[in-house]
Amino acid sequence: MSETMKNTALFGWVFAMIVLTGIMQSWNVALLILNMGLISAIMALGVNLQWGFAGLFNVGVMGFVALGGLAVVLTSAAPVDGAWSAGGWRIVIALLAGAGTIVGTVMVRQRMATGRARNITTIAILVVGFILYRAILDPGVNAVEAINPALQGNLGGLNLPVLMAWPIGGLLAAGVAWLIGKTALGLRSDYLAIATLGIAEIIIAVMKNEDWLARGVKNVVGLDRPVPYEIDLQNTSSFVNRAEGLGLDPATASSLFVKLNYSILFAVVLVIIFVMAQLALKSPWGRMMRAIRDNEVAAEAMGKDVTNRHLQIFVLGSAVCGIAGAMMTTLDGQLTPGTYNPLRYTFLIWVMVIVGGSGNNLGAVLGGFLIWFLWVQVEPMGLWLMELITAGMADDSGLRKHLIDSAAHMRLLTMGVILLLVLRFSPRGLIPEK
Amino acid sequence: MTGNPYQDDRGNKDATIANPKGGGKMTPAMGTGKEMNTTNAFLVGDSMTGGYGKDGPDILHDCTIAVNPGEIAVIVGPNGAGKSTGMKAVFGMLNLRQGSVRLDGEDITSLSPQARVAKGMGFVPQTNNIFTSMTVEENLEMGAFIRKDDFLDTMEQVYGLFPILKDKRNQPAGELSGGQRQQVAVGRALMTQPKVLMLDEPTAGVSPIVMDELFDRIIEVSRTGIPILMVEQNARQALEIADKGYVLVQGRNAFTGTGKDLLADEEVRKSFLGG
Amino acid sequence: MDFLNALVALSNFVIIPAIAYGSQLALGALGVTLIYGILRFSNFAHGDTMAFGAMLAVLITWLFQSMGIGFGPLPTALLALPFAILGTMALLLFTDRLVYRFYREQKAKPVILVIVSMGVMFIMNGLVRFIIGPNDQRFSDGERFIISVREFKAMTGLKEGLAIKTTQGITVVVAIICVALLFWFLNRTRTGKSMRAYSDNEDLALLSGINPERVVMYTWLIVAALATTAGVLYGLDKSFKPFVYFQLLLPIFASAIVGGLGSPLGAIAGGFVIAFSEVTITYAWKKVLKYMLPENLEPSSLVQLLSTDYKFAVSFVILIVVLLFKPTGLFKGKSV
Repeated sequence: MSETMKNTALFGWVFAMIVLTGIMQSWNVALLILNMGLISAIMALGVNLQWGFAGLFNVGVMGFVALGGLAVVLTSAAPVDGAWSAGGWRIVIALLAGAGTIVGTVMVRQRMATGRARNITTIAILVVGFILYRAILDPGVNAVEAINPALQGNLGGLNLPVLMAWPIGGLLAAGVAWLIGKTALGLRSDYLAIATLGIAEIIIAVMKNEDWLARGVKNVVGLDRPVPYEIDLQNTSSFVNRAEGLGLDPATASSLFVKLNYSILFAVVLVIIFVMAQLALKSPWGRMMRAIRDNEVAAEAMGKDVTNRHLQIFVLGSAVCGIAGAMMTTLDGQLTPGTYNPLRYTFLIWVMVIVGGSGNNLGAVLGGFLIWFLWVQVEPMGLWLMELITAGMADDSGLRKHLIDSAAHMRLLTMGVILLLVLRFSPRGLIPEK
Repeated sequence: MTGNPYQDDRGNKDATIANPKGGGKMTPAMGTGKEMNTTNAFLVGDSMTGGYGKDGPDILHDCTIAVNPGEIAVIVGPNGAGKSTGMKAVFGMLNLRQGSVRLDGEDITSLSPQARVAKGMGFVPQTNNIFTSMTVEENLEMGAFIRKDDFLDTMEQVYGLFPILKDKRNQPAGELSGGQRQQVAVGRALMTQPKVLMLDEPTAGVSPIVMDELFDRIIEVSRTGIPILMVEQNARQALEIADKGYVLVQGRNAFTGTGKDLLADEEVRKSFLGG
Repeated sequence: MDFLNALVALSNFVIIPAIAYGSQLALGALGVTLIYGILRFSNFAHGDTMAFGAMLAVLITWLFQSMGIGFGPLPTALLALPFAILGTMALLLFTDRLVYRFYREQKAKPVILVIVSMGVMFIMNGLVRFIIGPNDQRFSDGERFIISVREFKAMTGLKEGLAIKTTQGITVVVAIICVALLFWFLNRTRTGKSMRAYSDNEDLALLSGINPERVVMYTWLIVAALATTAGVLYGLDKSFKPFVYFQLLLPIFASAIVGGLGSPLGAIAGGFVIAFSEVTITYAWKKVLKYMLPENLEPSSLVQLLSTDYKFAVSFVILIVVLLFKPTGLFKGKSV
């Protein structure tokens, strides 16, 4: 079987599974899987850029995805009345003061000679800077958070079209990635893994606690959509007529129609990013990336600035994750910082890349769809399995109840088993790098 | 991208997740395709042909190296002649396509390096030959790890051979000077009470004075009756103390003879000893 | 008097909790650092190993409680600990046999093992949730306090009270015993020395006749003991919740790296550095400052540098600062 045949078969099989879900469960579920599968594929592409093509170990995918989500609120939400005048500018000034303190410290340390004087100055600047920062920030935050706290209490956004949030989410993630990469990739050997692990937790902590930013754990709901609302469709007579013509009731039809719209939007983004990734990797830049990966010493000897190349690809990969994060929040219609969990948003993406085939974009996309499908479907399958296993037990058996209640946790177990099986028996993944 | 996918780390050098230090690089050989028996000696690598990896190019070609009790045998030759490779072949770290290795009459060609240590071979690698984070005494103790009997006598003997080690017994070996480290390395190998001692360039990177002292020590070790097989860069000095010399060129035996004969040989002098 | 009050308040809210938390982190970081030194990768499954060990202890504690077995004023969990350790040892040896050993035979690169440990992490995480569920479980019993605030006030007549929880006392005592045993083992026994030798120079260890499989086995056994102990102590002190253990991975990694990966001494130091910075930076200093400053300077706000939700941020910043200035960690490990 030729390679193209095999790859087509693999993709065909995954989509057949999704179609089967549509037939056996419901088309709503199938489209949900498809949509999140598209988003997962984009995330996997981002991680694959970093790990597959440069060997960079990013375990902070969750952070960049969350930043993309934050971008949706900051871009598309309506500004909160009076928030900016009440304290918004104050917060901005405080943040600038904070950034200025850090920049100032770095500059002072560069200018001054090593010694006690430098250390004392450093500490003095940091302490004064921090006090100043808090002194400016706190009143601003209090003022903003006091505005209609039950529903708002945040700055709101720029009221731009929500589709704009996707590239902006990418930019936001890229900016943070640049900062991390600059610090973590600079030393003799990098410490990107621990740096990304930490920054992801910090991003989530900020999003959970800084209510003025995006309401923290109180969530922002009712975000703008790039597609029509179901209720509007149901009130449009032409849509209702057409739905009835297809033999669907308007409620189902509208929900399917909305999801299909999302699917088309996401698919367009996926195709664009996929094509760009492929082109980039076939370009001289991509060849150099792989040359660095396969023999860094030789590449360095040839005068390639390895650290800078790594920084570039790290920023790019993170930006892709940011875009995917923004898309996901748009699909959800709400930002819920409390739901970000590294197992789901970092390590699951890693499973997708490894299972699909690290170093192969097509593999990453396949992994994204396949693993997401399993992530969703293992739960009902697990429940079914548990019911089968426990069928012989008495209805009031404690063990039976426990097993059935625990079926939901089967998915983590399954993901681990899949990852280990692939790593062992097909270490290059389902679609290996050429 | 070729080769073992489990060994493909994609150039990752993130030391916060992957420990780059101290990992094993030794790959045991897998026996030989064609046994050979052309000569007799206490330790003999007989007509060895082979190279690194499963199908790497041959580095040794029909190369024979042997040493007998009481002797110092020295392998010399130009850079890239396969000197160290020859020694590794005798120690079982090379895939032989032809040839045998025999120790005291027993065929050990298919044994792993560890198993050869247990059989009585002591090996001092050229680099990374001590446990830098452990004290001198712990290094010696680890050398005696396979011994079940009391090794304190042997340790005293080693301290007798290398008195400086006794003074520094509680110092981490990594803090010693180059020459002292080599003494620790040789001492560690002696702790197993080997039947034969193999040294891979013991004087690499030490000053001439230290080199002379090391050679003196090696002669002393040899006087205790242990046969020594040694690879040396400093051909002249090495041949001066050698009972037997092997000059390798491109993995082949070019000249073989006693140290004196080789030193006297016009051709050897011209090509390898600078006149 | 004010000074004493300030000191007591400081001890009560900062020093004692930080020592207890630091001990727990140190035990966790020791496990990470040992695996890093000997198996040469950072084990992402370590947090979940702790969760598994603690879960076993919880289950055994419940069993003991149902049987009416107690440990007097001490928590029953301490009685359960040895059994939980045995269970965790079995799990880790089984995992090694089934999963990791294959990659050793393949001479796999450490990064590959890191990814493998992610898979193990998923499985252990799922296993723990499957068995005990994702919710909070309390399993501490016995006396709650060694000294309670009321007793302390009555004893000293100070305005500020000092409480030492039994769990805090136990944490410190058990941690000291564990660390002492570990160092004795590593530095004084033949097996311990062979582990250090293997970590230092694998090839030379092989040439010295050290059996790598034995070294690896002992490593897993020790790691199981350390992880279970750390997990149980943390669970006793706070409460048992599977996800929290997963989240401990960051401060534990941070401790191990700050101290210098591969250095056991560093892991301990790192644990306390991280714990103290987390607690001091997220503590509201008003109470202490009230006693220390003259009345007119008394702070009006809480004087809390960062809210407690940012404790991960603190570990992270400390980590970055240390790595920037001392790339090998405080105790020159094998790191970076």
